[in-house]
Amino acid sequence: MKRLTLILSFFIISIFLTGCAGYEELNNLSIVTAVAFDKTDDNYELSFLIANSPKAQTSAKEGEAKTTVYEGKGKTIAEASKAIEQIVPKKTYLGHINVVIISEDIAKDGFLKIADWLLRNPQTRKKFYLLQAKDEKAKNILKITSPLESFPSQSIATLIESNAETKSIATSITYSNFISQILEKGYDPVLPTITIKGDVKKGSNEKNLETTEPETHLALGPLAIYKKDKLEGFSTEKESWAINVLKNEAKEVNYNVKYQNEDISIETNYLKSKIKIIDTQNVEITISGKGDIYNINNKIDIQNYKVINKIEKAWSNSLKKDLSKVIKKIQNKYKSDIFGFGNLIYKNKPKTWQKLEKDWNNKYFPNLNVKIKTNLKIEATGSLVQTIKEGK
Amino acid sequence: MEKIITNAKKVIEKTKKLYGNSPDLNTRIINIKGTNVGILFFESSSQASTISDFIIKGTLYTATNKNLFQNIFEALKNNLFNSQLFTIKDYSQFPYFLSSGFTIIVTDNSSEAIIMETRAQLDRGITESSSEPILRGSKDSFTESHSKNLGLIRKRIKDSNLWFDELKLGRRTQTRISIAYINGISDPKKIKEIKKRLKKIDIDGVLDSGNIKDYLIKQKSVFPQIQSTERPDVVSQALLSGKIAIFTENCPFTLILPNVFVDYLHTSEDQNQKSSNITFTRILRTIALIITLFTPAIYIAITTFDQNTIPDKLLISLAIQRKGVPFPTTFEIILLTTIFEILRESDLRSPSSMSAAMSIVGALVLGQAAVDAGIVSPITVIVVAFTSICSLIFTDIDFMNGIRTWRFIFILAASTLGIIGVLSFAIILLIKLASLENLETSYLSPFAPFSIKDQNNAIYKAPEEKIINRPDYVSNLNPHRQRRTK
Repeated sequence: MKRLTLILSFFIISIFLTGCAGYEELNNLSIVTAVAFDKTDDNYELSFLIANSPKAQTSAKEGEAKTTVYEGKGKTIAEASKAIEQIVPKKTYLGHINVVIISEDIAKDGFLKIADWLLRNPQTRKKFYLLQAKDEKAKNILKITSPLESFPSQSIATLIESNAETKSIATSITYSNFISQILEKGYDPVLPTITIKGDVKKGSNEKNLETTEPETHLALGPLAIYKKDKLEGFSTEKESWAINVLKNEAKEVNYNVKYQNEDISIETNYLKSKIKIIDTQNVEITISGKGDIYNINNKIDIQNYKVINKIEKAWSNSLKKDLSKVIKKIQNKYKSDIFGFGNLIYKNKPKTWQKLEKDWNNKYFPNLNVKIKTNLKIEATGSLVQTIKEGK
Repeated sequence: MEKIITNAKKVIEKTKKLYGNSPDLNTRIINIKGTNVGILFFESSSQASTISDFIIKGTLYTATNKNLFQNIFEALKNNLFNSQLFTIKDYSQFPYFLSSGFTIIVTDNSSEAIIMETRAQLDRGITESSSEPILRGSKDSFTESHSKNLGLIRKRIKDSNLWFDELKLGRRTQTRISIAYINGISDPKKIKEIKKRLKKIDIDGVLDSGNIKDYLIKQKSVFPQIQSTERPDVVSQALLSGKIAIFTENCPFTLILPNVFVDYLHTSEDQNQKSSNITFTRILRTIALIITLFTPAIYIAITTFDQNTIPDKLLISLAIQRKGVPFPTTFEIILLTTIFEILRESDLRSPSSMSAAMSIVGALVLGQAAVDAGIVSPITVIVVAFTSICSLIFTDIDFMNGIRTWRFIFILAASTLGIIGVLSFAIILLIKLASLENLETSYLSPFAPFSIKDQNNAIYKAPEEKIINRPDYVSNLNPHRQRRTK
């Protein structure tokens, strides 16, 4: 009897504690899957993409979702989020944020000014992708519908995941990774950018999905280069590629080698860069990789290993040339150490770093002498021995 | 002890009065040379043809015997044809024998009575087991006849060490209870304890083995500690492993004890199939046990407290499905689970001709229509259906009901405390199971206390030739069940 009352009282007490424990029915939540930060004059503009507003005139079992974008303004981000909560009828739930997009204004002003709110919120997972909006307001990007994914945040996430692996123009960086890169010594981060190709108004309309060739779609652009938490500029596509190779982010990349005035396509299945600090003026980068020939359009005897060696040499030379050009440009134009040379000096020789730290970006980094070594090999030549040509 | 009156007529009158002149009490008086011979039997429980053929004929034949001396009683005793014939001196034993279908013969001038077995066949034949059907194995099952039930075991174990200890329970029913065990394998301490517990029972009637179940358990729990089966092969296997079986007269279900938790994950078929496949089946049963205990609770916990743990797309699809459902998730789950339990209960009690109607109403109306009407969300139907199917994997009804009780406890814990509640009550369940003990056997043996020797037939089933030992936790009197072969 005593035990029974103990158990009963336990249940009765716990019923009153449900408020503290965070009981929340699913249909009372507005699930936010993407967040966009914009800036207008003095105010911050916050936009939420809410994924679970059901489509009209469908029964519950079909489970189709429509997305809605809500905006709020405020002097601080928290204020802006409160403004949104006044419009959204249900409780906003930030646990499933997939993508965060920041506008150019925010990036130029300094990212750390807005970073606090999402990290401080206990609901968020801190594992979402961070992207830089280019030429467009960040909130407009949330509005573009995609025919392949049911809601925009998902399409951005899949876009960036597949892109980072195959094309190597973008990289995938999570929110917390980006912040830790900013805070690291002798390191400047990069961010993938995203733009809208086409008209925003048409793209946000559901009719965009009904055509076989959507008029408006999202596209990943080249990398945005930061100096600490401030945006310095945008690289070109070729530069982004080189940056990813140097930062050891690219794995399966395509590279065209000029050999006897014809392009040979080489697809690497393994590419690795290793940075070695010799002294404070000299850095050596070793690129080692293996690749297969994917495309040849002229008559080259690829069964001959000497020819293969020649192609390998040409590949090495042109890659070296391309990479050093990009390094030079970053050293002189942006002066931001996105490769983390300074970080390596700090890790290896912390005392030397203390002397260099103050003038690193302006004085030492631009004058760094970077030497590139390569170790590239062609492994396979595909299923064809000769190229397809009419025999004579 | 009550003496038998030495007057046949008076005995008959007394007995008729004792039974309130019930019409099925048949009596007859035959006069042999001035001595009255009284014959008493119940036409309802005796075979009339046997009585006519052997008793009446025998008595009349004895009367014509010229060599008959004055002692008619002795002459009858020696001349009647029957395999079961004995004499009693106690009148108070009359009702037991009469009701059991015996015929009683009394004579003048004798303080003894002759008892002869003339029982009618008041039971069905040996049929296939309906509550524990199997694919591979013997198909016979126990019946309501006590001697047939014992015979089914005798037939299987021909050892003279198979002993039956009998006692009668129930003041009015006088039910025969047989405790079966193999002398030299079963622990005598356990047999003594069982007898002690049974002898304490003083009740008016024992009609089924279920009536005495509760007396054989010391600690109360919703999980069964005694197995009841109607399969003779299960009982024989249990006896061979050192367990003790209790047969109850007029009941096709035999009790086996001591039983442990892991026995409910086994079936009698496990002995007859390939060992390696049985291991996999037992793992499946264990998974089904975990699923049926926890699925609804974990569903409630993660959808109402820890939405963070659900993958993005699933969460959105769940949230859309719940649109327009007016009830909280907990209520939905409890509603559907209760409906299922009611369906199961009504299906058990209804004749098979109604079950088609029941399944239509259950599946279509309650499942499909409830979703279409927006009363419950489709995912809840899936969760409850999955849970219910998993619970049907177990054949023991007591075990299923024990799981059901704990499932409801977990649901309540999940709806008030979330995943923490489920976890803490899972720990409580484990503590409760581990603290159970019956006849000095821990309920979670051979896992707690852990015994590496007995792991060869718990979840993992070793090949038959590798199982050398009898389970240690049942009895360690005679540990080897087979010789080591090389």
